[in-house]
Amino acid sequence: MTLVASRPETGPARPYAFPAVVRTAVGGGTVVAAHMPGQLLATATLLLDAGAAREPLGGEGTAAILAKALEEGTRSLDSAGFAVALERLGAELSTSVEWDALRVGVSVPVDLLPAAVELLASAARTPKLDPTDVSRVRADEVTALRMEWAQPGPRADAALRADLFGADGRFGRPLHGDPTSVAAVTVEDVLAFHRDWMLRAGVLLVAGDLDKMDLAALGATAFGGTSGSPLPVEEPLGVTIPAGRRTILVDRPDSVQSTLRLGHRAPHRAHPDYVTMSLAATVLGGAFTSRLNHLIREVKGYTYGIRGEFGMSRRFGRFLVSSAVQTAVTVPALAETVGEITRTRLDGVTEDELDVARRWRAGQLTVDMQTPGSIASALATLVIHDLPDDYYEKLRRQLLEATVDAVSAAAAEHLHPEGMTLVIEGDTAIIRDDLAAADIGDITDATI
Amino acid sequence: MTSPSVPVAQTGYPWPIETARLDNGLRVVVSEDRSSPVVCVNLWYDVGSRHEPPGQTGFAHLFEHLMFEGSVHVQKTEHMRYVQGNGGSLNATTNPDRTNYFETMPSEHLELALWLEADRMGGLVPALTQETLDNQREVVKNERRQRYENVPYGDAWLRLLPLLYPEGHPYHHATIGSMEDLNAAGLDMFKAFHRQYYAPNNAVLTVVGDASPAEVFALADKYFGALDPISDIPAAPHGHLPGPATEPVRETVTGNVPAPRIYLSHRTHPFGTAGYDAVTVLATVLGGGRGSRLYQRLADGSRIAQPDYVGAYGVDLAHAPAPLIVTATAKDGVDAETLEAGLIEVLDSVVTEPVTEAELERAKALLTTSWWRQLSTVGGRADTLGRYATQFGDPGSAGYRLPAWQAVTPDDITDVAAQTLRSSSRVTLTYLPNPAHPGEPS
Repeated sequence: MTLVASRPETGPARPYAFPAVVRTAVGGGTVVAAHMPGQLLATATLLLDAGAAREPLGGEGTAAILAKALEEGTRSLDSAGFAVALERLGAELSTSVEWDALRVGVSVPVDLLPAAVELLASAARTPKLDPTDVSRVRADEVTALRMEWAQPGPRADAALRADLFGADGRFGRPLHGDPTSVAAVTVEDVLAFHRDWMLRAGVLLVAGDLDKMDLAALGATAFGGTSGSPLPVEEPLGVTIPAGRRTILVDRPDSVQSTLRLGHRAPHRAHPDYVTMSLAATVLGGAFTSRLNHLIREVKGYTYGIRGEFGMSRRFGRFLVSSAVQTAVTVPALAETVGEITRTRLDGVTEDELDVARRWRAGQLTVDMQTPGSIASALATLVIHDLPDDYYEKLRRQLLEATVDAVSAAAAEHLHPEGMTLVIEGDTAIIRDDLAAADIGDITDATI
Repeated sequence: MTSPSVPVAQTGYPWPIETARLDNGLRVVVSEDRSSPVVCVNLWYDVGSRHEPPGQTGFAHLFEHLMFEGSVHVQKTEHMRYVQGNGGSLNATTNPDRTNYFETMPSEHLELALWLEADRMGGLVPALTQETLDNQREVVKNERRQRYENVPYGDAWLRLLPLLYPEGHPYHHATIGSMEDLNAAGLDMFKAFHRQYYAPNNAVLTVVGDASPAEVFALADKYFGALDPISDIPAAPHGHLPGPATEPVRETVTGNVPAPRIYLSHRTHPFGTAGYDAVTVLATVLGGGRGSRLYQRLADGSRIAQPDYVGAYGVDLAHAPAPLIVTATAKDGVDAETLEAGLIEVLDSVVTEPVTEAELERAKALLTTSWWRQLSTVGGRADTLGRYATQFGDPGSAGYRLPAWQAVTPDDITDVAAQTLRSSSRVTLTYLPNPAHPGEPS
């Protein structure tokens, strides 16, 4: 056996380039497209300013019900007819509701894209929305949420969100609502949401071989019959951090693990510190070799995985650490986790750690962006946060040039372990006394 | 408008493929594609949980974890740091059939990836320590808790396998293994495991993307060429089964689940056979998309099943008849008996109401898109070529799969359903909510 002992040198790098972006104004809307020569599949996504942020207080889940109800038939096709027409093209409608947008998308062999976009547009713009169907979709959605909430995680996440943003505001309630709020949504709420937010032109994102497409024709299909102007973007919510730490317990009897959701509020996505903040989070909890994953998984063996990151939308952000740890080690896992966040805030990052973070994040811009679907998502980020077409080239340079001082300063500025909320979902009969004895933060019980 | 339709594919792999075999038996597969400056390095080792003897369940998978913990020239933590710290993504998976390791890198780091893979193929044993084993054993036990024990219905696969495959069959136990066996795993057993199976002549190295075949063959020889082959790699226990099961089996689990759920399962044909191609198309006719029979009849029609949880899928195992699994979850107020009767009616309908050309066309269109989606990344392509090279001896045979699906006829479907979906060979797994704890509080 003979192995080569020395690590090889790096070969010559090819220059980085994001696919060429083409913007085409059609009617009142814009087609934003990325050219991927030779791709067999193409993706088209209608991006509408109809996210959960548009829901009224008490109407949490309206957008999610609507997104499902879009597939219950259009003015010209019933539910089964619509499904079969789309699936015969090899497509399925993918819908998603996030804070800032509602997306409706299709991925198909490129020659079939015009027909698929025609069906997509008819579902988004002229769905049948029969009241009986909408009621049934709502009932199904309540059941689906109950199923989801029986998994560990969603209840902890709801408790954290309520504590960070306040249960009396939309952003303090779950993105897709909870079983109670969804049950209270009326058919008229759903129809009104469609009427108010889904009939503006919006943006059609297209990724694939543009030589085989007619973008103006796709835009005409997607924007036909729309009206109204783009909506103004509201101000960021701001970052308030409480003076002390709080611990919230969510009871899940017989859990063999405790699910951890630890976090605090953070800046919005367009904040000038985005690059340095996210690099600090990569060192702390993003990469496999991050401080948290190294200590909690690779040294202690408490978990299968732990991550820490800034999640950022148009109006707010959140620093979040998530993990699931064996019940018996809940307290030490929490203490060690808070310890690493505190160390990162106080001592900053090292050059060795930052070098991994920089190069990993820069490399992901090519490694994770090979498919029409991933490129369409990258285009959505440009549109939602009003970023320029050469954004990814600039981002790559900023990532690679970030200094230890700048990233350490961002860690000091934007990590707040002393004002964090610690949500623990698990078997409280087993873990409560240990948590109280450990004196990590005031303990309350979630009412979820 | 006239409805366009999905074109018939002449091949499912329209990229170049070149192969070589080193003197030590390592097969090398290269598929060049310069459209993006990335390259994937993928290794398939022909060892999986089917090779595990009684008392050693979970060993192949726990071993996979140890492969990331350092080797003779790579310190603990360095493997991950070198890959991510040079912009790459990496992972590995273990299933009953095989273990695969893969990283996609910016292409200037191709040589680094090959060096890392060679070092752990040829030099893992000296770096293995008790401390590393003890740590990764705890990580894997937490993986088991997180993925199988702490989620409703999470152990369905662990329960189905022993019902589908008899005691002693290589697919009888699940890859994650039992806590008892994981606790008993000793360091020497893992050193022996590596010496037995991790050899160049038991692996396929596939490189896809921004690299030329000549460059890859030269680098493969440089880094892997001097590794010794192993002459007596033991075969897995034989997977032969005399035919479909002859007695139905059922198991009912009452526990912390929010609604009744049924899994119906049958052994069918091994992955890679014409019979299994028919099963793949059949699964899509039955459970793929909103136009499928299960969705149309149980979620939309009789409305006894929750729309988000109807499905039918084959598990692509190649060394014995692979399972087809059909599942549905009851809507509020629907009991398990009603749901099971509905599922059986749909399953039986495949024989009594033959699949139409329109249903077939829909299923083939969905399969065509999913095939191209799998091949839309260099990682997906590398894994596909590694599979076909390992399991069928020829990476180019990957190109036949999509045309084979597209050639399936209604008669093929009826025949395979009549032969493999009989009630006499059915496994039924039912989950019922515990009446003392009806689901989770909401």
